[in-house]
Amino acid sequence: MDSALIPKGVKRCPLWQFALFIGAVGVVLAWGVYAMLLCWFKGLNQTNMNDYYGFALWIWADLAVIAIGGGAFFTGLCRYIFGKDELKSIINYAVLIGFICYSSALLILAIDIGQPLRGWFIFWHANVHSMLTEVAFCLTCYFGVLTIEYIPLLLENRQVDRVPFFHHLGHNMHEIMALFAATGAFLSFFHQGSLGGVAGVLFGRPFAFREGLYIWPWTFFLFTWSAAACGPCFTILVTKITEKATRKKLVKDNAIELLAKISGWMILTYSIAKTADTWYWATVTAPSKGLTWDFFYSNNPLYGKWILFTEIILCGFVPAFILVTKKGRKNVPALWIAVTLAVIGVSLNRWVMVLQVMAVPVMTFDYWAMYFPSWQEIATTILPVAYGVIMIAFSHRYLPVFPHEAELNPVEPLPSDEEQLAAAVEEMVDVEQELKPAEA
Amino acid sequence: MKIDRRSFLSFLIGGAAGTSLSPLPWKLMDDSSIWTQMWPWTPVPEDGAISYVNSVCTLCPGGCGITVQKIDDRAIKIEGMKQHPLNDGGICMLGLSGLQLLYGPRRVKTPLKRVGTRGSDQWMKISWKEAIAETAKKLDEIRSDNQPHDVAAISGSDRGTVPQLLMRFLNVYGSPNFIRTPSIQDSYELTLRLMQGNQSMAGFDLENSDLVLSFGSGIVDGWGSPVRMIRAKSSWQRSQTKVIQVEPRLSNSAAKSDQWIPINPGTEAVLALGLAHVIIKESLYDSVFIENYSIGFDEWKRHVRDEYRPDNVGKITGIDEQTIVTLARTFARASKPLAICGKGQGSTPGSIGEFMAVHALNALVGNMNKAGGIWAVADHKYIDWPEINLDDISKNGMSKGRLDGAGSKTYPFTRYRLNRFADAVDTDDKYPLKMLFIHDANPLYTMHDTQQVQKAFAKIPFIVSFSSYMNETTQYADIILPNHTYLERFEDVPTPTGIPKPVIGLVKPVVDPQFDTRHIGDVIILLARALGGNISAAFPWKNYQACLQDTLKGRWQTMIDNGFWSDPDFTAPSWEASFGLPSEKFEFVNSDTGLMPKSDLISIEGDEASYPLVLVPHDSIRLAKGFVSDPPFMVKSVSDKVLKRDDLLVEINPETAKSLGFTEGSKAVISTPKNKASVKLHLFHGIMPGIIAMPTGLGHEGTDEYIDGKGVNYNRLVGPVEDPVSGLDVAWGIRAKLSKA
Amino acid sequence: MKKENKHSKFKKYGMVIDLDKCTGCGSCMVACMAENNVPFKQDESDKLLSITWLRLFRLTNDKPFPETDVCYLPRPCMHCEGHGGHSPCVSVCPSTATDYSKDTGIVSQIYTRCFGCRYCMASCPYKARYFNWWDPVWPDGMEKYLSPKVSPRMRGVVEKCSFCYHRYQQARDKAYMQGKPDIEESDYQTACAQACPSGAITFGDLNDAKHAVYQLKKDPHAFRLLERLGTNPKVYYVSSREWVRRAGDNYLKDEGRLKKAVH
Ligand SMILES: Nc1nc2c(c(=O)[nH]1)N[C@H]1C(S)=C(S)[C@@H](COP(=O)(O)OP(=O)(O)OC[C@H]3O[C@@H](n4cnc5c(=O)[nH]c(N)nc54)[C@H](O)[C@@H]3O)O[C@H]1N2
Ligand SMILES: Nc1nc2c(c(=O)[nH]1)N[C@H]1C(S)=C(S)[C@@H](COP(=O)(O)OP(=O)(O)OC[C@H]3O[C@@H](n4cnc5c(=O)[nH]c(N)nc54)[C@H](O)[C@@H]3O)O[C@H]1N2
Ligand code: SF4
Ligand code: SF4
Ligand code: SF4
Ligand code: SF4
Ligand code: SF4
Ligand SMILES: [Mo]
Repeated sequence: MDSALIPKGVKRCPLWQFALFIGAVGVVLAWGVYAMLLCWFKGLNQTNMNDYYGFALWIWADLAVIAIGGGAFFTGLCRYIFGKDELKSIINYAVLIGFICYSSALLILAIDIGQPLRGWFIFWHANVHSMLTEVAFCLTCYFGVLTIEYIPLLLENRQVDRVPFFHHLGHNMHEIMALFAATGAFLSFFHQGSLGGVAGVLFGRPFAFREGLYIWPWTFFLFTWSAAACGPCFTILVTKITEKATRKKLVKDNAIELLAKISGWMILTYSIAKTADTWYWATVTAPSKGLTWDFFYSNNPLYGKWILFTEIILCGFVPAFILVTKKGRKNVPALWIAVTLAVIGVSLNRWVMVLQVMAVPVMTFDYWAMYFPSWQEIATTILPVAYGVIMIAFSHRYLPVFPHEAELNPVEPLPSDEEQLAAAVEEMVDVEQELKPAEA
Repeated sequence: MKIDRRSFLSFLIGGAAGTSLSPLPWKLMDDSSIWTQMWPWTPVPEDGAISYVNSVCTLCPGGCGITVQKIDDRAIKIEGMKQHPLNDGGICMLGLSGLQLLYGPRRVKTPLKRVGTRGSDQWMKISWKEAIAETAKKLDEIRSDNQPHDVAAISGSDRGTVPQLLMRFLNVYGSPNFIRTPSIQDSYELTLRLMQGNQSMAGFDLENSDLVLSFGSGIVDGWGSPVRMIRAKSSWQRSQTKVIQVEPRLSNSAAKSDQWIPINPGTEAVLALGLAHVIIKESLYDSVFIENYSIGFDEWKRHVRDEYRPDNVGKITGIDEQTIVTLARTFARASKPLAICGKGQGSTPGSIGEFMAVHALNALVGNMNKAGGIWAVADHKYIDWPEINLDDISKNGMSKGRLDGAGSKTYPFTRYRLNRFADAVDTDDKYPLKMLFIHDANPLYTMHDTQQVQKAFAKIPFIVSFSSYMNETTQYADIILPNHTYLERFEDVPTPTGIPKPVIGLVKPVVDPQFDTRHIGDVIILLARALGGNISAAFPWKNYQACLQDTLKGRWQTMIDNGFWSDPDFTAPSWEASFGLPSEKFEFVNSDTGLMPKSDLISIEGDEASYPLVLVPHDSIRLAKGFVSDPPFMVKSVSDKVLKRDDLLVEINPETAKSLGFTEGSKAVISTPKNKASVKLHLFHGIMPGIIAMPTGLGHEGTDEYIDGKGVNYNRLVGPVEDPVSGLDVAWGIRAKLSKA
Repeated sequence: MKKENKHSKFKKYGMVIDLDKCTGCGSCMVACMAENNVPFKQDESDKLLSITWLRLFRLTNDKPFPETDVCYLPRPCMHCEGHGGHSPCVSVCPSTATDYSKDTGIVSQIYTRCFGCRYCMASCPYKARYFNWWDPVWPDGMEKYLSPKVSPRMRGVVEKCSFCYHRYQQARDKAYMQGKPDIEESDYQTACAQACPSGAITFGDLNDAKHAVYQLKKDPHAFRLLERLGTNPKVYYVSSREWVRRAGDNYLKDEGRLKKAVH
């Protein structure tokens, strides 16, 4: 029924199957939307946040999706600026994933603030000293960039592309994509960094506080670095999952491998830097505030030393070593493990830099504050996942997201009635266009 | 249409500029920011003319001066009155929360008649005319039956014009049954009566002492006039006065003292006598006073010498012998030492043995009626009304003797025994009670073994409450004649408890009555008018204000201007003129009765085998436990180590908790011979092993949604224990056990 | 050290709280609630959801019976100066809804500007900031006591101790009307200091040698909370007890003597 919308030369599941799938995910989406409306109309008392846990699950989710959405800017950087053409096979998908991640981040932020209708004060009454101001500006601009990067893909839908205006619009946008990729990379560098700065500048919170360069605490650079390192892993992971779900090969191996290799080296260098940062913090920063590093990992039920091991060794060095070796990244199970660990690692880092910061007592007579999110928080955090799945499903079905899909999965053209009709229509349009004299 | 780069860019920029130049987004943004500031459900207080009214707080017996800030006709803030002799600007939480009572949900807004069963909170609004007519009719009926003694009144105080009007009404009507709610005032009155022959209140010249020895008195926890006590405590820091606190738990008062001496609960009298033993043995006492102004010393001395050797005292009290000896010397060698007693906030009387023993300590060091000492302060002299004439019915009623047995042969000096009252009503043993008035009292909350008291009250056919607020007892009334709150009325507040120099405060209407309420004084006068005859004649005043003005005479204008009248030059009489007994001396052994300071140890209910632990109350200034309970601000300020959701936390020593298998926050059931309750545990090193301390002032019902159902009422777990001398309930605790919930 | 003496026209309001005097009575807490229209709910026993601009902490030395000791510590906002006015909270607020006044040293909070991101709460080590998780609701009729001098806050914004800023404004107006160049010490006193029965809280201009706080803060037993973090708070505490002073900051095990408060 919808075959006229499906890109040429590829095969898609029957519409009923697709509709069933979307329906199922849609239920989850509706649950999330319901929770979101509760938060908006009844206020943040719907959450389990409190005055000690002012930042909680949502801010973690925000930081995490932005980190793993970092695949978009970094892949773009490699593809357009460094000219790694192999990445053409995956760049569209990276952009799509990035778009989903960033739109989700903005949505979560809009739920997370106490006065959503005044959210724009962050721009209007901007305080230049605040890392959050920097985050807001760069994040919003970068979301704009991602939108611009995603639009040409939308315009490539078979029916849309037929409209000459959209066709040319898409063409023009493609031509200047390198400019946007560069802008995106620049913006990303700053907002990923300032997200790191959000925690790092908290000089009242010795667990988060970091020295740094000029106004930028080390977490500024570590966040950018880790997002660039682990974002592509998330792109690979989602690609692999999509391939499993569609039972098709969608991206060329050389693209995956190149991305995995770059990622591997980034994770390795990041892990070394993170180790050095932790070491300095534990031996210099924390003691200067009268605290030993193990204080932050004891006397509470959750935040133990296991976190440090898991984050830096298990989810840092281990995936790095797998990915930097050719054998490692060519081995499919190993690749799966590595990218999964990397994604967990960067998410865990964001958790620690938000949630553990809130949990640690600073005054000697204060206490560890533990927190478990309410269902409304969980639902609104799952909401973007459902939204992402739906976005991917639609994009994959109707847009030529994977330029090499047809090549990798050759199909016998099935001359059906509909196909013929579509072809006829296409011809007519072409003819019509030819009949009109060029206007421009 | 073909689009080149230029037209593409113009499209983008033009689109953006067009939208932003249109008023739409700006208008929407502006609206959103304004609207979120003006949500109609967030109140915007109106501004207006500021004014201030000086008055007195009556929410506890403290008598603090207050200054109420107003905007137009609204009271917006209560502050402590500067320059007031008691509190000079200081104020407690309850005083600060007064406006939450004035404007709060627990107000009784009109006269009410009960329609549902008692406690079911179902009422019918009636007019004042109907309410007074109905009450008067009931009174008239009882009197026509020649049974006026079947009417009683319970009042939070017997001092000042309002309680005196109520008492006068009862007496001229023919009933001897005016009852004041119990407190350590009863014990001190009795002690002064027996040892000095004065009908007086005890006043303490604390600010001028140089050593204060407190037998469990909550100096900063609400004992005496609470704000004055805290201020005294601060003054001791400047004057380097030493404070020694004796009690089983590290209360805030103990924490603020210079020395905390933990003691086995209930053995304070033994310690006092042990100290007396050392002081006498080492001849550290004031021989001038003892030899010239006291009698019975030798007899008492023999008793003390034989029975209270420090080693014995040490065993009983759990205090090490050397500490006792040192303490005795420290006390006796100070130049102006003062010993005080009455545990916690002093709302439960203490044993006469203990009070006499502590008073004897003061006598030993000769600090009677001296700077830094204990003064006997004579009562309400300013109330000087014409004698009342009793008709035959009244005479007959008055001759029937009190229902509670106070003043009887067994308890000749005891004035009121609310503890016995409930029993007497329940058992009808003297005569049945037909009608009861309640004023400024909440016995269905504050009396030990509350459930028993409740049962007795259920038998009273007609209960009239004057309460401004809903509470447990108000819920049991048949008719409520709501009084104005203290912020809407005139009233005198005589010298508060423990204050050595006379200070009379004037309660003034700060705002107009907010609801259809009436001054209790006016209502009493109206009832008297309705009953006519001698009764009406006993109230010659036009209304309460006329009565008050008439009573205060020359003081009135000063009090209107300053908010209080005081006599800063007042001094206590000399030793020659101090003692009202036939001997005109201080009597260590009362010559009438042979009573002397002894340790009749008051044993509490329960056997040790079934109840291995001891439950004691712990009072906090953050928990009101009198006839007014915590308003919302106070409940808000209660620690989460006292109240967690609706669960009360009791304190227990970590060692004891461990031996019973409990940890911090454990749920438990506490059982006593009287009752049981679910609680949680708070582990606290500052409490003697084997003891559980329960915060008082929680566990309310029928008040308002901000306090009802929170925690447990301590009084429900404890039974009364009668003092053999006074017949007062002096239970200081009860045996208990903890089991897993 | 003494550069503040150079007749600076900048005021630096602050407090000295004598913990030896404080009895834990909580009048300061309630005086603040009554003064500043602080809302309340049916259950306030979860202290992480309970707005108390001034919170009273109960410290214990944790020694076993009978060596146990207890001390109360009232904690308003510290009005941290940080370095050059960079209070932990002021520097992070993205919408400039909280500000450090160089004229008074007061850290303000502008409710109608705040959009509730709670970053300032995350930044404050003293947990002095509170979020309005609920709409403030007063039982019917109780709105009557609300003060027009302090606006009730709407749901979704952060609030905290303001050093009773409206009282400063009143005092300033009074001085102006009377043609005085400066505010009298007694004309600007906070509600908590005024209510305290034990006189534990002294409030005034830390820069003004005529004000009581100026001398009191120099007490050898004076200290500030978490000085090592560089928050530079303007609330000083005094305690004669070593364990209490030590509880004011974090120290490594081998750090013996306490550092004296820096003025
Ligand atoms: N005496 C004196 N006069 C002054 C000043 C001063 O310091 N002292 N300062 C001057 C300055 S700088 C200014 S900006 C003005 C300010 O003057 P106003 O605008 O009068 O400001 P406020 O008195 O702070 O607040 C006004 C009213 O708004 C209410 N209000 C609070 N929140 C809200 C809300 O969300 N919605 C609505 N609708 N009402 C709300 C308050 O309760 C109060 O009654 O005063 C000027 N005049
Ligand atoms: N809690 C609370 N906080 C508030 C408000 C509130 O109502 N409550 N109101 C808010 C509002 S609306 C405002 S406008 C702000 C006001 O906050 P601020 O702007 O801090 O207001 P002032 O304290 O009046 O500060 C003005 C300073 O300028 C100085 N000054 C006066 N004349 C001159 C001059 O000619 N030259 C120079 N260089 N200095 C001068 C004064 O001495 C004073 O120190 O406060 C805000 N903060
Ligand atoms: S101590 Fe008593 S009289 Fe004084 S303010 Fe408090 S409640 Fe009122
Ligand atoms: S009012 Fe004073 S004494 Fe009471 S808790 Fe506050 S600071 Fe301490
Ligand atoms: S105490 Fe907290 S809220 Fe107050 S100024 Fe310091 S950091 Fe800001
Ligand atoms: S919650 Fe309000 S005051 Fe705090 S940082 Fe955010 S906008 Fe600023
Ligand atoms: S200074 Fe004012 S706002 Fe701050 S705690 Fe004290 S009373 Fe509250
Ligand atoms: Mo302003």
